[in-house]
Amino acid sequence: MLKIENLHAGIDGTEILKGLSLEVPAGEVHAIMGPNGSGKSTLSYTIAGRDSYEASAGGVTLDGEDLLALDPDERAARGVFLSFQHPLEIPGVQTMTFIRTAMNAQRRARGEDEISAGDFIRQIREQAKIVGLDEATLKRPFNVGFSGGEKKRMEMLQMAMLEPRFAIMDETDSGLDIDALKMVGDVVNALRDGARGFLVITHYQRLLDYIKPDHVHVLAGGKIVQSGGPELAAELEKSGYEKFIEAA
Amino acid sequence: MSDHQIQNPTKFEADIVSAYRARANPNRMHDAAFARFCAGGMPGRRDEGWRWSDIGGVLRNEDGAINAPALNTVAPSVFSGLNPIEFRIINGEIMMPPQSEMENAGGVAWTILDNLGTIPELDANPVVSLNVAMTDKALGVEVRAPKAESGAAMAQPRPILIRHINEAAGSCFVQCMLRVGEGASATFIETFEGAGAVLGSCLNQIVMHKNSNAQRYVVNQQGREGVTHAVCGVRVEKDCSYTQTSLSTGSKLSRHETIVHYHGENARAQLDSVAILSDSAHADFTTNVLHKKPGCTTRQLHRSVGADKASSVFQGKFEVERVAQKTDSQMTANALLLSERAQANHKPELEIYADDVECAHGSTSGALDQDQLFYLRQRGLSEREARQLLIKAFASNVIERVSDDSIRDVLSGRIDQWLENV
Repeated sequence: MLKIENLHAGIDGTEILKGLSLEVPAGEVHAIMGPNGSGKSTLSYTIAGRDSYEASAGGVTLDGEDLLALDPDERAARGVFLSFQHPLEIPGVQTMTFIRTAMNAQRRARGEDEISAGDFIRQIREQAKIVGLDEATLKRPFNVGFSGGEKKRMEMLQMAMLEPRFAIMDETDSGLDIDALKMVGDVVNALRDGARGFLVITHYQRLLDYIKPDHVHVLAGGKIVQSGGPELAAELEKSGYEKFIEAA
Repeated sequence: MSDHQIQNPTKFEADIVSAYRARANPNRMHDAAFARFCAGGMPGRRDEGWRWSDIGGVLRNEDGAINAPALNTVAPSVFSGLNPIEFRIINGEIMMPPQSEMENAGGVAWTILDNLGTIPELDANPVVSLNVAMTDKALGVEVRAPKAESGAAMAQPRPILIRHINEAAGSCFVQCMLRVGEGASATFIETFEGAGAVLGSCLNQIVMHKNSNAQRYVVNQQGREGVTHAVCGVRVEKDCSYTQTSLSTGSKLSRHETIVHYHGENARAQLDSVAILSDSAHADFTTNVLHKKPGCTTRQLHRSVGADKASSVFQGKFEVERVAQKTDSQMTANALLLSERAQANHKPELEIYADDVECAHGSTSGALDQDQLFYLRQRGLSEREARQLLIKAFASNVIERVSDDSIRDVLSGRIDQWLENV
């Protein structure tokens, strides 16, 4: 599924990822943990294709296709979804209109039929209930005036609606209470059908109580410095990142 | 008259002087107005208030002679779905609706009036003076409150659509007087259409009697060669509400001026405008609100989108006299610049002599937000779709304030059409 090989990437000529390699096979959830400044967000932006995040060496492929050669929207149409650490507000754009526009843009790019108005409404109502957003929110301008928690729920609503093949969750847990963490777990677990992959970026083990990862990696100094099973997250929670920072 | 001369006239001004000398039966008002025009000629970048809209410079070498050909065919208006009473002003010639319209016009009546003269506040405006000098007749429309008949629902008067259709190789001038009777509610839609004239000049007066309500919508969709100068003076009496929404998709140069004059207490005005411009289009919205009575409220939102080498101008002024206590007036102007060469010039002005008022203005300009663009593209929108969505959202902020659903849809459709072509 997602394969990152010896990736060197950064912003404005400053190298932040320094030879990162990682493989997430279909059906698996991998967690990436790491101290501040280790390159976690650079990794997610580079995979998603944000302007000004440039890969200078190495590669990223999804099912063998070179992602780095594609525009951000082409990557999205291939099924790459990024749950933003800091979701944006889009004044003047109604939430439902935006999500439907996004779904149809992806469908068109894949040569699929657009979703009918009826199916869309049914589906978004159902998913909004699951992520804990009331229907009135769907008619408001996208994320405008929403709390941090509501914005994270909105990210999960989009993920549930867009059903990505590969989702990167960049600190989705930050700012969320226990109930919301459980909701995030529910959304991810509902999508875990053996064909999709997930990269869960987090500082804390807590979210991983709800999303059981297959593998945990420690990112420090722009590289994966250790990989292990779920027990690695528990160990980090106890001992911190200090020894990895020193090692990097 | 030998004193009708302009020093060092441009070709356009010389043509105008010849046209005035050749005009039939000028009276003293015409002569006085033309003398005011001749004192400075066409305004331009050297004149305060015109320095960003150099109408004199743009017209310098143009043909100023009066030229008002008739047009054989006129396409239906984008507003025809609203069942309006339609007036066409073709190159300055006023075409009345068919007589049969009189019978189901509700509280609306119309006629041809003599020249309106001028509004004292506009004496200093040279293009208004030129209009007064060149015009003999005016379109007069009056909207009266429907009479309540027992048992019958009160029918709202039909919207009044005034289509300025200009396709002339010269100048054309027109005036309109719109009256809104006590307690009446009127909707005026004015469209500026056609390929454009060398100069299309329009002077309107709206007189609102007390406790009346008027909405005015202005759509400038004239072709790239047109130059339009349209001025509307609005006299607002006690307890009136005046709402104006203007949309310009640009022509070579357009300037829409609105002067609101509060003559009674507790009146309200909303003056909104949007310019969405590409190529080298230029749109100017200049407004002046004269708060002369206490307790009046003004809201003003201007937004402009500029692509290519387009330029927009917003000049908004609130004057608050000493007696106009409890004035509550706010003005906001925001510009979105889509290219390095697009321009937006804003001049918000507050002139306040009363001490118990709330007045504020704000002005911003910027480019599309790269973070928002990336967010939208990450969700699957192409760069073009993402840009269109953000531009539409920015411009729609003004359109969403329109309370009439069908008019809002038409205005929104104009923006969509513009977006398809950029």
